[in-house]
Amino acid sequence: MILPVPLETGAVVIGAGPVGLFQVFQLGLLEVLVHVIDVLPHAGGQCMELYPDKPIYDIPGTPATTGRALSASLLQQIQPFSPQFHLGQQVSQIERQADGRFLVSTGQGAQLLAPVVIIAAGVGAFQPRRLKLDGIEAFAGGQLHYHAAPTYVAGQDVVVNGGDEAALHCALGLADSDAKSITLLHRRDTLQAPMADLVEMQMLVAAGRMRFIVGQIAGFEAELTRLTGLQITDVDGTAHRLPVDQLSVFLGLSPKLGPVADWGLAMNRKQLAVDTARFETSVPGIFAVGDINTYPGKQKLIVCGFHEATLAAYAAAPLVFPGKKIPFQYTTTSPRLHQLLGVPTPS
Amino acid sequence: MTHVVSEACIKCKYTDCVDVCPVDCFREGPNMLVIDPDECIDCAVCIPECPVNAIYAEEDMPADQLAFIQLNVELARAQGWKSITKRKPALADADDWKDVMPKVQLLER
Repeated sequence: MILPVPLETGAVVIGAGPVGLFQVFQLGLLEVLVHVIDVLPHAGGQCMELYPDKPIYDIPGTPATTGRALSASLLQQIQPFSPQFHLGQQVSQIERQADGRFLVSTGQGAQLLAPVVIIAAGVGAFQPRRLKLDGIEAFAGGQLHYHAAPTYVAGQDVVVNGGDEAALHCALGLADSDAKSITLLHRRDTLQAPMADLVEMQMLVAAGRMRFIVGQIAGFEAELTRLTGLQITDVDGTAHRLPVDQLSVFLGLSPKLGPVADWGLAMNRKQLAVDTARFETSVPGIFAVGDINTYPGKQKLIVCGFHEATLAAYAAAPLVFPGKKIPFQYTTTSPRLHQLLGVPTPS
Repeated sequence: MTHVVSEACIKCKYTDCVDVCPVDCFREGPNMLVIDPDECIDCAVCIPECPVNAIYAEEDMPADQLAFIQLNVELARAQGWKSITKRKPALADADDWKDVMPKVQLLER
């Protein structure tokens, strides 16, 4: 096996939620190059996953925004610093190297080497919710897929389970394939998806290309090692059998604290204990900001995370640039910061 | 601060909350779940999962449910109350009990 050469950088930020993104901004002002890792395929963290369209009223200077809009403006704000994103990756290990730097490895094979790690992992890594059926996990990766379309559909009875946009997109995306049948199965008769997608589905249903069934999966049938059918209980409690060759499941995501607890950092009620001057964990060089940390007086607010990220950046920068003076500057007046931000300096 | 399971859970135990808890802080008794306040990190992800709206942040507890704050503390440590980390079927007659109040007298320890 050839070991990948780790990418060297100034800091690794774990978590691309609002606090992780603002962490990139503050590190950027201090000229620290940053790589960001997040298990989700997009930036935004809880804001995007739990409440993308719900209003947020407590961001200073922004009377009202949404999780989605806040994430978008933070991404815009950090753009001058060109952070490298490693999305869809979960950090599995952090190991201190002989030279004092940290080797951060993801379960997907990325390796990063940096003197500073900042954990902004919120309530943990979002994972697809699994089916609650004993034994069905044996088919995962073969006939059972979580948050993914089946790879092989020719002549197959395909069932997509779920009622959100991702589930519907998966089903609609198969309409032109040579799948034998396409069934969207959801526990309720309402789908959380854009009107255009619902209209497209109605047309496909009317044309006989796809079915929409309301019901819950109560059990499954298998022959030897092959999944052959699902037992469906409909809204009236009646049981049906649904033949299945490929099953794609979209039941949303839920966070799990996951490997953070295994990194040897001092914890308090499953959150990382930090000091309030540096927001550093019990391991020097590893910082924690946002919902994942705890300290006396902690409030789980985005604005508090922004403050924590700012102080963590000032504490981390000397570790990235040993011996260099870290100047305190205002974005309003500093020509150097204007240069970094790519904005003109007023004459 | 912590989150607290209130009276509505009694004789239902739908367990949807358990699946979404990032820190596995739910404890299961014969006919109710509680939250271990030492483990709960106040992420609030469980609140919308409960089909009977049994879960509240401590400071949002309705006045008539305040006793459940202490009850969660006690039961989380009670003998026989075990950690539950995976959803399981609700109690068989859960749907018959979900709108019944009061039912605190039916709590089994």
